[in-house]
Amino acid sequence: MLQQIIAILIIVFFLIRLFKQKRNGQITPNEFSIWLIFWLIALIAIILLKQIDILVADLGFSGTGINILVYLAVLALIYLVFRMRLNIAKMEKNISELNQALTLKK
Amino acid sequence: MKITTVIPAYNEADNIGSVIAKLKSYVDEIIVVDDSSHDNTYELARLAGAVVVRHIINRGQGAALRTGTQLALDRGADIIIHFDADDQFQAEDIPDMLEPLRNGSADAVLGSRFLTKKSNLPKMKQYFIMPLARFINRSLFNIKLSDPQSGFRALSRASAQKLKIENDGMAHCTEIIHKLFKNGDRVVEVPITVIYHEFGQKFSGGFKILKDMIIQKLIK
Repeated sequence: MLQQIIAILIIVFFLIRLFKQKRNGQITPNEFSIWLIFWLIALIAIILLKQIDILVADLGFSGTGINILVYLAVLALIYLVFRMRLNIAKMEKNISELNQALTLKK
Repeated sequence: MKITTVIPAYNEADNIGSVIAKLKSYVDEIIVVDDSSHDNTYELARLAGAVVVRHIINRGQGAALRTGTQLALDRGADIIIHFDADDQFQAEDIPDMLEPLRNGSADAVLGSRFLTKKSNLPKMKQYFIMPLARFINRSLFNIKLSDPQSGFRALSRASAQKLKIENDGMAHCTEIIHKLFKNGDRVVEVPITVIYHEFGQKFSGGFKILKDMIIQKLIK
């Protein structure tokens, strides 16, 4: 229970920070939406941890709900790193094209 | 028929002058792409009589070759030779490289270190890295070449125009071979001699090439 309260407080802290960033124009509406959805899902998952335990057990997994959430979070992180790598590669390609154009002064 | 050599160069002040001097009698024009060297490669290449352009930032050998090939095409080259700046390739091999293009029997000529001429290839490359690369080329891409990683090549103008080099780094070598076949060019291999002064690309470089090629496919 104490762990759940700490987790909820952390999420609330990040939600407040998110709204502040939006108010100060530090993030785009799209970024705000994505992070809002992310933190709300995290909040719901923490509040409904017992129900997730039951759901995970019903689905035939041996771990607890929190274990499955951690696995999913790791998968999400790997995917995000992969997307970032692709974005960096695209930027690198654009830089090379720009570099060539400047070199040949087209 | 205008024959142009393209040399990508990065920190090659020790070799660039002699490489250009050796090439002069075999080609009509020498283009050096200085890939933002920290030494005086640019100045020495100019002094030696090459057409020299300089990348404002270092982008890799593939990017330098792409710039040089485009410049050669813009300047009216009929045949473009890719040549390294490290003095490992032999300018005397150029007439043999040009022959299939001149007599119209090929669109692209690749130098091979594994035919009749001898090269002092490091053993690791000769007996492990190259056979592995050859096996990958044959089994995955149905490309049957004796040398799977040659950087010494001569291209007809039409072949160079079709060739779009996308890999900035060392993966360009594999990419070029694959694209020549994909573009339907008639590719022949010609024996060359390579005098190694250092080991060159390591085994780990092979993994980087593979990684770069996969990423290049994914960002298309």
